[in-house]
Amino acid sequence: MDWVFLSELAINGALTGLLYSLFAIGLVLVYKASSVPNLAQGGLTMVGAYVVLALARDLGMPLWLAIPLAAVVMFGLGFGIERVALRRLAGRPVVMILMLTLGLDIFLRGTTLAISGGTSRSMELGVSYEPLLLGDIFISRIHLVGAGVALALFVAFIVFFRTRTGIKLRAIADDYMASWSVGISVERGVGLSWALASVVAVAAGVIWGEIQGVDQALSLLLLKGLTVAVLGGLDSILGAIVAGIILGVIENVGAEFLDPLVGGGSRELIVAAVLILTVMIRPHGLFGRHDIERV
Amino acid sequence: MAGTLALAEPFKVGVCYDLSKAYTFATPQVSQAAMDVAKLINMQGGIGGEPVEVIVRDHGNEPQRGIECYSRLSREGVFVFDTLSTPVSLAILPRAMEDGRILMQSLVGRGDAVDGTVFEWVYPVGPTYWGQMANDIGYIKQLHDDDLSDVKIGYIYFDYPFGQEPIEILKTLSQKEGFELLLYPVPLPGSDQSGAWSKMRRDNPDHVISWMLGGAHVVASKEMQRNRIPMDKYISVNWLNEVDIANIGAEAATGLKRGTNVVGGQDVPLRLEIINKLYDEGEGSGPLVNTQDVYYNTGLAMYSIIFEAARRAADLEGMPITAESYKKGLESLENYDANGLMAPITVTAEDHGGGGKTRIEMWDGETWVPQTDWIAAYGEVVWDVVRESSSKYGE
Repeated sequence: MDWVFLSELAINGALTGLLYSLFAIGLVLVYKASSVPNLAQGGLTMVGAYVVLALARDLGMPLWLAIPLAAVVMFGLGFGIERVALRRLAGRPVVMILMLTLGLDIFLRGTTLAISGGTSRSMELGVSYEPLLLGDIFISRIHLVGAGVALALFVAFIVFFRTRTGIKLRAIADDYMASWSVGISVERGVGLSWALASVVAVAAGVIWGEIQGVDQALSLLLLKGLTVAVLGGLDSILGAIVAGIILGVIENVGAEFLDPLVGGGSRELIVAAVLILTVMIRPHGLFGRHDIERV
Repeated sequence: MAGTLALAEPFKVGVCYDLSKAYTFATPQVSQAAMDVAKLINMQGGIGGEPVEVIVRDHGNEPQRGIECYSRLSREGVFVFDTLSTPVSLAILPRAMEDGRILMQSLVGRGDAVDGTVFEWVYPVGPTYWGQMANDIGYIKQLHDDDLSDVKIGYIYFDYPFGQEPIEILKTLSQKEGFELLLYPVPLPGSDQSGAWSKMRRDNPDHVISWMLGGAHVVASKEMQRNRIPMDKYISVNWLNEVDIANIGAEAATGLKRGTNVVGGQDVPLRLEIINKLYDEGEGSGPLVNTQDVYYNTGLAMYSIIFEAARRAADLEGMPITAESYKKGLESLENYDANGLMAPITVTAEDHGGGGKTRIEMWDGETWVPQTDWIAAYGEVVWDVVRESSSKYGE
């Protein structure tokens, strides 16, 4: 057994998993406020990356300015989605809101394709691709940066949910009817959760856009991100972080052993198995609230 | 839409493409080339005195929508179709065979469709993935003085039919030539390849053949850098273009190789003529930047062949062109080089591929430099696999 090699697989798997956590945090934010898995988070991530590129490449802004400005734009977009689309569905069955997010995802993909075309573009953050050496272990610097961003956002949201506004959001997540009755604006809270998820989408879009280029494929991160969110517990930001690490390690190390046995393709089998087993055995995930159960 | 002549019913080609989903990295350039070639032909009097027309429709890479496109355009009198999508091509193929309509499937679809004795109405003109892979191995064999016995070849591929398709040929050639074959499957869309490349660094293959697309090449190049694997080990399938090079970084991509079935670069006579007669006059079919891409050249080559076959059909059988006369036109193509864009092809009733030559070229930091002549290696091995597979069609 080559322990150094397995360690490299585990470490790089954990870092990649944290990049999926970065995506999953956006899903969790929306779920906490509206109890709906946001199927448009992939589309939002792609749009976030395109907005950064539009500001940086088309308008010539430096990236350090384009990224926070894109976050502001996306914050507004998130609020806008709640105001224009979601508010009309208040009181409707959850499945209708779920379908709305699916429709929104298709709309965002179609719109960006019409405006920006299908050609992939590079983010060019300037991160070196030379390996970071930990003994004989080769670590990817961009994955390290992305993992750092995920952890920073995790800490920021932990702090945020202890602020007055954050506590209101938690109250909405607990019981929106009760929140309404004590004067908390549920609409504003849901809008804020979408706005924050859209800001997270910018972070995920920038990091993943740097790794794989900015194109329609960014929206495909949804499946893996959703798996991480479900495993962690759909309403738990801590769960998204821990589940990302677990899934990344299992996937990377597991494929090393399973691929030779099944002739390849085991990574997707592992992800599918994790998703199915989580839903069957522990629907509320690792850290989610126990009231998330099968219907 | 092409068509500046107000004459009789035009010769129409149904271009049912994925313009909105998986193949959008290439379809805009290829369809633009198709329309430009048609416009140029019409400016020069059409074919047989009649204009030509390409009808472009989106199928979103969905087989059912592809069939709808085929059915609708068939009712409009179209009998030559091009899908540029493997799943859609597979869905349409049985209908085209039954209806007696021509299915062009250059670069996609069943590799065994080159066997014209079985696939009477299907024409994968140009190299199939099987032929392209055999040619890659032929190139590597040249590098090792015709002896692959101590050579390790890694194969990194999308773990779905596109990437899995050449594995059979690779295994056959591994047994024949004695090289060690190492497989590295990557799940779609190829954004996470860290495990595969860490393993690759440990295995240290002499060459890495890649069957991936678009952004996955970018991820691969960064993983190669992280693992300090020299870029000149990387030999890509033909689906790697100037956009991918720009995203990798022109300097960082130095040494990278690709197997190609068309001439790259912009100094191609047909392209220059189109720029001069169409784009300089504001008559181009899309953005000028698309014409600077190897996929545009691919489209020029594909539609040079499609319209040359129509021209020969008109010469051989007269107007109007029918599916049967068009078939004869295709099968009369002999040493035709698609206006200098491809290795000469010869299509016959038995060989619908036309020869399957490719060449290897290397990115030198600024441009693509050919590393070989046009080659078609292991023809018998490829045809054995083709016949083995085609014999099972319809079972």
